[in-house]
Amino acid sequence: MPLYMDIPLRLLFWLLLAPLLPGVINKVKAWVAGRQGPPVLQLYYDLARLWRKGVVVSTLASPGFIIAPAVAWTAVVTAALLLPLAGTGTAFSFDGDVLLLVYLLALARFCTAWGAMETGSAFEGMGAAREVSFAVLAEIGIITAILTLVVQSGSIALSSMFEPLFGPGAALLAVGLFIILLAENCRVPFDDPNTHLELTMIHEVMVLDHSGPPLAMILHGASVKLLLFAVFLAQAVLPLSELPLLASVAALLVSVLLITVAVGLVESLTARLAFRRVPLLLTIGFLFCLFPLLLTWMGDL
Amino acid sequence: MIAALLGIFGLSLLLAMILGRTHARIWLGLSAIASLSGLYAALITLITTETWIWRGGIVLGGETPFLRLDGISALFLVLVCLVGGLGALYAHEYWSGHHHPRSAPGGRCWWSTLVLSMGLVLTCANGLHFLFAWEAFALSAYFLITLDHDRKDARKAGWLYLAASHAGTMALLAFFSALAARTGTWELGPVHAQAGLAPLFWLALFGFGVKAGMFPLHIWLPSAHAGAPSHVSAIMSAVAIKMGVYGIVRFSGWLPMPGSSGWVLLGIGCLSALLGIAFALAQNDIKRLLAYCSVENVGIILIGLGLSVLAVQHGQPIWGKAALAGTFLHVINHGLFKSLLFFGAGSVLHATGTRDMSRLGGLWKVMPWTAALFAVGAMAVSGLPPLNGFVGEWAIYQGLLRAVAQKGPAAGVLPAVIVLAGAGALALAAFAKAVGIVFLGAPRNKPAAHAVECGWIMRAPMVLLAMIMIAIGLLPGLFFRPIMGAVAVWAPQWAMADPLLATRTLGGAHTILICALIAGGFLMLRKIQGAGTRTGPTWDCGYAAPTAHMQYTSGSFAGIARGWFAWLLRPEIMIRRVRGHFPGTALILERVPETVLEKAVMPGAAAVSFVADGARKMQHGRLHLYILYVFLGVTALGVMVLLGGM
Repeated sequence: MPLYMDIPLRLLFWLLLAPLLPGVINKVKAWVAGRQGPPVLQLYYDLARLWRKGVVVSTLASPGFIIAPAVAWTAVVTAALLLPLAGTGTAFSFDGDVLLLVYLLALARFCTAWGAMETGSAFEGMGAAREVSFAVLAEIGIITAILTLVVQSGSIALSSMFEPLFGPGAALLAVGLFIILLAENCRVPFDDPNTHLELTMIHEVMVLDHSGPPLAMILHGASVKLLLFAVFLAQAVLPLSELPLLASVAALLVSVLLITVAVGLVESLTARLAFRRVPLLLTIGFLFCLFPLLLTWMGDL
Repeated sequence: MIAALLGIFGLSLLLAMILGRTHARIWLGLSAIASLSGLYAALITLITTETWIWRGGIVLGGETPFLRLDGISALFLVLVCLVGGLGALYAHEYWSGHHHPRSAPGGRCWWSTLVLSMGLVLTCANGLHFLFAWEAFALSAYFLITLDHDRKDARKAGWLYLAASHAGTMALLAFFSALAARTGTWELGPVHAQAGLAPLFWLALFGFGVKAGMFPLHIWLPSAHAGAPSHVSAIMSAVAIKMGVYGIVRFSGWLPMPGSSGWVLLGIGCLSALLGIAFALAQNDIKRLLAYCSVENVGIILIGLGLSVLAVQHGQPIWGKAALAGTFLHVINHGLFKSLLFFGAGSVLHATGTRDMSRLGGLWKVMPWTAALFAVGAMAVSGLPPLNGFVGEWAIYQGLLRAVAQKGPAAGVLPAVIVLAGAGALALAAFAKAVGIVFLGAPRNKPAAHAVECGWIMRAPMVLLAMIMIAIGLLPGLFFRPIMGAVAVWAPQWAMADPLLATRTLGGAHTILICALIAGGFLMLRKIQGAGTRTGPTWDCGYAAPTAHMQYTSGSFAGIARGWFAWLLRPEIMIRRVRGHFPGTALILERVPETVLEKAVMPGAAAVSFVADGARKMQHGRLHLYILYVFLGVTALGVMVLLGGM
């Protein structure tokens, strides 16, 4: 497919599909709790409403308070565009693009923390501190997962990196990446997106003072990030690129849906961890990524 | 051509040393001329990749002078000239004769001495003269660190620097003497043929490593960088410690390397990167934070260099070249963003009179230029795209990942990748903290609320540095080309290999990204203007009267990650709680000591002086007891001889 068609199509995939995921999660949670729950398309309605609203800005905040969410959103969407999508491959690939992906997510994190620090509130400063600290362990886990893929495929470009492992390695990597997905997207048991308690929040607390269009961008960016991690996880453990085009796209969509449902189930069935346990669980996630790395490496020696 | 340019460089700096005491403006002009000519010479050498050699006809200290400018020296000379010139401009306002009538003339003189002696260190190809230049460099740096010698902490920092520096110089003296004795000449150059010289590398690593500030030899670095005036901190951190890196790079290219050297360099690099940034994160003093961050960056440089040494040992030019190019680019990058950050910190210090982050806050309102430029530096040092810091780390990562992907014996570099990722994320935390606490939120005290922006003379160097940094991010290919010249000098056997770095694609991606970021930010601002904006106090989940004192402080921000490294950092926290019916002021004081110095080196030194004190009691000036010592000694010897005979 020519680049000028490919990129807009991918952009549509990421931008339009992403807000569906939080809706699915909420539906699953409602179903487990025996409630009816909000419609699956609720986030689309929220975004549309927020986009039309005005903004309240803290007197302390600089223009960075408004710009940071936009920069973070752009960084996340660009990172998503780097990812190959099942059989359709990738729009734009070069050696080492996987590092660009990791560091674009870091750029988004920096901007979110920046936005939080703008308000001068202890509450939001606390969220920023938690976010950047726990991200250290999450990032170590992500890079370990990437190393596994590098050893497995012998490639350092995203387009040819997803050569899935088989057997126990794949299962371990799936668990490890799933734990990191929960942490990076601020899901139970790391964070509770539904409460407003100091004890329970990381991400949500950073965006308390945002409103209107910037908040819409933050919410949408968060959903794109969730989709990004789900797509990454699916492709890291399933041989999607070896299937015919339509089958692989369908398989990708189904696996993303399954991952989303799994997130919903985890949120329904587990409690939030105490904060001092969060690093422990993240370390476990890292170890789940490290074992497949050792397995693949030993297998090759 | 190059001879003339370097001549101008040297002469104008000599003149600047002499005239600097009395004529500030002439000194500035001479510094500018020296920087431009030195920069021009370095760039010519890097682009043409021709080595310039000059032998003097006279004898100095028993040896004829021998100067050489090749790719590697030129690369470091770029930094010396750039920061030397921009720092001089910055100092013209920051440490002006008007504000510091007593120390400013000396400061100008020593600045020129420092730049000149660093230039000599880079060009001297005779071991003896190298040592002289090295000592002149070390001493002029000492006088610059103690420029403000009324302050006790500056004097202490200077003394510590001098002691550490001379420990290193002692190793270097041994190294150069041994090298000269074994090779039969003081002239420096490749000596790969003599495999017996390999162990000498460890001496060089120690001697230059002290200056480079690699962990755990970094003990002098935090206090020296924090205590010195900010333009001095900038050149010390951005350039002076690079002289140590230069030495390690130079001799790892020239000497036959011991078999384990690649792994040792990689290990020291990992240690420095991770622990350096852990210390940085825990600091409350902004200049100490920046100083420890230099330890981290030296660590990253050593990781890249260690990988390159491994690549030579395993005969792998492809990833070796990527790693070395990344290493060299990171040397330049760190010079750029660290001097920018120290200039920014100096501007804050100038305006508020404090380096303690917990007393600052909200400075962006009164110092928007400093805030924006510091933010650019902070993003670059955290390795965020599309700035230069990412490009350098990206190339080093590529070398590491390629080594892993190849699954050869060098795939053992796996832990280094994980360490690099962890250090990167910690750096982001440290700089999110620095920017957030110092520039955002509400001012925590009066000086921070009433600070004034620095003048354009101090601003200009920062703007220029930021522009170069953005240019490297957007056009990495353009900057990698001269760096490949330096790579070819380090490992000539790799000349044919193409490292396959996708620099043009990365540059393109960065250009698209920066356009998207600007467009996104701009559209958002427009959208907000159209949507109607109201301002109000921070909502903060409904706190009625938030005050500046309720903000998260630098200590609390770093709390989580500091806890992970508490086994090493050993933070000291003093709390005075609220007690009784009429409580006094509650208080919490946090300090992270320089653990290696205070917990390891100082007790060691105390033990040595305890033993020495005990031994001194034997020397009391009573002759008859001395005769008794001799008698006892002779008897003991006699007994030993008799026993040995039996």
